[in-house]
Amino acid sequence: MYPWNSSTYGGQAPTGGQTRTMPNGLDDQEKLLAEAAGAARKQAFQMNHFLDKERMLDALKCASTMLSELRTSLLSPKSYYELYMSITNELCHLELYLSEKNNKETDLYELVQYSHTIVPRLYLLITVGIVYIKNDPTLKRSILKDLVEMCRGVQHPLRGLFLRNYLLQCTRNILPDVLVAENEHEGNVYDAIDFVLTNFAEMNKLWVRMQHQGHSSEKTRREKEREELKILVGTNLVRLSQLESATLETYRRLILPGILEQVVSCRDAIAQEYLMECIIQVFPDEFHLQTLDPFLKSCAQLETGVNVKNIIISLIERLAAYNQRSGKSSGNAIDAIIPAEVELFEVFSVQVANIVQTRTDMPLEDTISLQVALLSLAQKVYADRVDYVDKVLGTTAKILDRMNMNNISHLLSVNQELSRLLRICIDFYNNALTIIQLQNFCPLLEKFDYTSRKSLALYLVMNILENETLVPTADQADSILTIITPLIKDDETNTTAANNSADAEEFAEEQGVVARFIHLLKSDEPDMQYKMLQIARKHLGQGGGQRLKHVLPPLVFAAYQLAFKYKAIAEQDENWDKKCQKIVQYCHSTISALAKADLPDLALRLYLQGALVIGEIRYTNHETVAYEFMTQAFSLYEDEISDSKAQLAAITLIMSTFEQMSCFGEENAEPLRTNCALAASKLLKKPDQCRGVVACAALFWSGKQNGEEMRDEKRTLDCLKKGARIASHCLDTGVQVQLYVELLNHYLFYFERGNSLITVAMLNQLIAKVNEELPNLEPSEETKQIESHYKNTLAHLRSRMESNDAALEVSFAGITLN
Amino acid sequence: MATRKKSLLKVIILGDSSVGKTSLMNQYVNKRFSNQYKATIGADFCTKEVVVNDRVVTMQIWDTAGQERFQSLGVAFYRGADCCVLVYDVTAPNSFKNLDSWRDEFLIQASPRDPEHFPFVVLGNKVDLDNRQVSTRRAQQWCQSKNDIPYYETSAKEGINVEMAFQTIAKNALEQEAEAELINDFPDQLRLNSENNRPSNADNCQC
Repeated sequence: MYPWNSSTYGGQAPTGGQTRTMPNGLDDQEKLLAEAAGAARKQAFQMNHFLDKERMLDALKCASTMLSELRTSLLSPKSYYELYMSITNELCHLELYLSEKNNKETDLYELVQYSHTIVPRLYLLITVGIVYIKNDPTLKRSILKDLVEMCRGVQHPLRGLFLRNYLLQCTRNILPDVLVAENEHEGNVYDAIDFVLTNFAEMNKLWVRMQHQGHSSEKTRREKEREELKILVGTNLVRLSQLESATLETYRRLILPGILEQVVSCRDAIAQEYLMECIIQVFPDEFHLQTLDPFLKSCAQLETGVNVKNIIISLIERLAAYNQRSGKSSGNAIDAIIPAEVELFEVFSVQVANIVQTRTDMPLEDTISLQVALLSLAQKVYADRVDYVDKVLGTTAKILDRMNMNNISHLLSVNQELSRLLRICIDFYNNALTIIQLQNFCPLLEKFDYTSRKSLALYLVMNILENETLVPTADQADSILTIITPLIKDDETNTTAANNSADAEEFAEEQGVVARFIHLLKSDEPDMQYKMLQIARKHLGQGGGQRLKHVLPPLVFAAYQLAFKYKAIAEQDENWDKKCQKIVQYCHSTISALAKADLPDLALRLYLQGALVIGEIRYTNHETVAYEFMTQAFSLYEDEISDSKAQLAAITLIMSTFEQMSCFGEENAEPLRTNCALAASKLLKKPDQCRGVVACAALFWSGKQNGEEMRDEKRTLDCLKKGARIASHCLDTGVQVQLYVELLNHYLFYFERGNSLITVAMLNQLIAKVNEELPNLEPSEETKQIESHYKNTLAHLRSRMESNDAALEVSFAGITLN
Repeated sequence: MATRKKSLLKVIILGDSSVGKTSLMNQYVNKRFSNQYKATIGADFCTKEVVVNDRVVTMQIWDTAGQERFQSLGVAFYRGADCCVLVYDVTAPNSFKNLDSWRDEFLIQASPRDPEHFPFVVLGNKVDLDNRQVSTRRAQQWCQSKNDIPYYETSAKEGINVEMAFQTIAKNALEQEAEAELINDFPDQLRLNSENNRPSNADNCQC
């Protein structure tokens, strides 16, 4: 026990009623220090002078007076340290002189003890003692023992700490560092250990006692001072680590237990935290590796205020760095240098569990931080041991279970540590396929609330995208999709408005990320690929229209690609035909899900794309199915699309798709053709009608009939004529002129391609019409566009007319431009 | 007169953590090297007797912590140094870059009388390793730009150049010491009655 409340241990006389006098201002400190240092220098000068004259007694008297300056209570630790430095520097001179003189006749060791006060007396005793030892090593053992005991005489913390530091400094070169001494009086390494441990225990007591002296209002300042003085206590440990004859065995048996006993029993948080850190730093890794158990066990016994987490983390970091450093210098970075018999991870994981259990006061965040530290140990030292990482995650989940922690809010600070744990895993492997090997990843993830699960899911998907991790099997796809469920569907437990109010842009971005991920579901095995698409479809189908819009189209496209793949391997896989049918079915149902989710425009386009794909693949029955896809597109057009612009766009797309397709027989092609023409002519607005009908002309020209282009001159012209008629009914002159310019282009197109029914007269008529109307238009942005379109058209015509190219099929003669 | 005083030389070793300050000192003083890494906290010294210019002098070599957090009491031990050894690790470019700040920090804290001509010595340590990052030329250029600081490439592990480097250190420290001696021998002033004017700052008890 530390008798800090006992007045006999105060070691300090009251000055002016105050137990501790310490001027506050920095200037005061400077002044006091300057005075003390000046006085000491003066004495030093005289001391040296007397030494030159070989007046030993006078010299010692000066030394004693000089050392009296160290009796002050007025200096702060840093100032006192400066004073101590300059005074001990002078003592070095004294020591050198005494050693050279080798003065046998006077018993200096006796003599210096006549010094009036204890502080100078002990400094001198140490100085002389060292000289004695240097002259006669056989005195070593007894003098060392004597000195370390005598120093107990100073119980004032600051003065005592520095005095013992002096002892420690002076003995640095002479501590016995042999296992067996030639003469037992010279001492061996065990005597040295004894000596330092005793000194350490005493210094630690002095240091700890500071905490309990003086007024409680000065606690902050006192702690700051203790913080500054810690280095003096730590130097003891440095000295122990410098003993070369102290083997691992000695460390394990004597040194470490000796230190730990002091550390634990002093029951002072500041001391414990510092000294544990000190042990980690000053002793070599090789020792730590073999003494993890006792060290970590002691960690569990430290005071409440001690940040055990930092100590453990510091040790882990040091050992991990050691592993890497040694790995590098041995030229083999993979091979762990840590000996196999040291089951580093197991030891840490057992001891950390023990600490968590015993230190019930530890905040949950710290407990989790310890798990994070364990995790990084596993990763840094045993990079390929996924099971270790998994174990940490499992332990963490268990801890949360025990505390009944569920649905952990993203607003809690413990959430951050927990998220860090999972993110570290993701970052470390940079491979989602490894993440899903961690059995405990999902259970731990389940402990979070929806918001944090979602942000972790996003983190994982982003990681997959960055590393372009391809997911090759259905099971793996299933696992990953399960992890990222929060991105795929809404929070089931909370259906309130909170979810819907999310920023639309952010939402779209997030779903875009999921869509990109779908493209990474990629197997070389077509059958496996199909399985994956099915799995993904099952997961992604539950997200509601807002999500389907983003995530189903990539599935459909992936399926179309897969169909082509089967076609390519048709010779190896006799079932390719059936498989294609299945895939098309899959697409059909997926697209109809989009249609049902009120996304007719999207569904229509995917149907059309499908029709094209089916037409190309040409498996059994493909014509009927392609026809079905076209009719689906038509019915969406008729029933679901109401906006006139969207209608024109849709029918134009339907027509252009159909124009490309060559798989239909006439019995299917003709109704589709007629339907297109009909639909175009039924568009609501005249300009739309005009454009639709004119576009229809292509069906009769380049559209396919039994695989060949149709080239039906009459029906093509009919469409154009009908367009012209509709244009003539337009009341808005501007729009009308625009339509005429467009019509002129269409007429020209078919004229140039050799439709013999189109005459130069027809072209002239259109040109005349435009020439007549165009100048009357009101100047506007639209007018400008029409003018430039027309100008370009005429320029084209002119170039054709001037051309001597014999390859031109038709004659442009007779066209009047003006 | 003062023949004895010149026999104590104070040398400070500075540099980033784990560049090998302690190892260099151990190699020089004890002729020993260990691969084990022990961080130095605080500062303390070893002594070694050397012969310079036919004279025996005691060199007090201060080994220091490279990490600032381990110097809680400040760097009062810089004061009175006769030579400052700056160490970097030839395989760690950052430790070379930091030489500037180590030098500046030393000159500020130690405030030697003539900072321009204070003796430094630079050691590029760990030349035994094959992943060298700082070239000899680069280091020499830096040393030249700082008033021609002597430069040695050392290996504490193999004992390469260590003896020679410390010989130079001792020689330069001795010259510095001799110079300081001339100026610094007397205390500020001697006032016969000043003793009693100082307020008694020590406790009146006998301990």
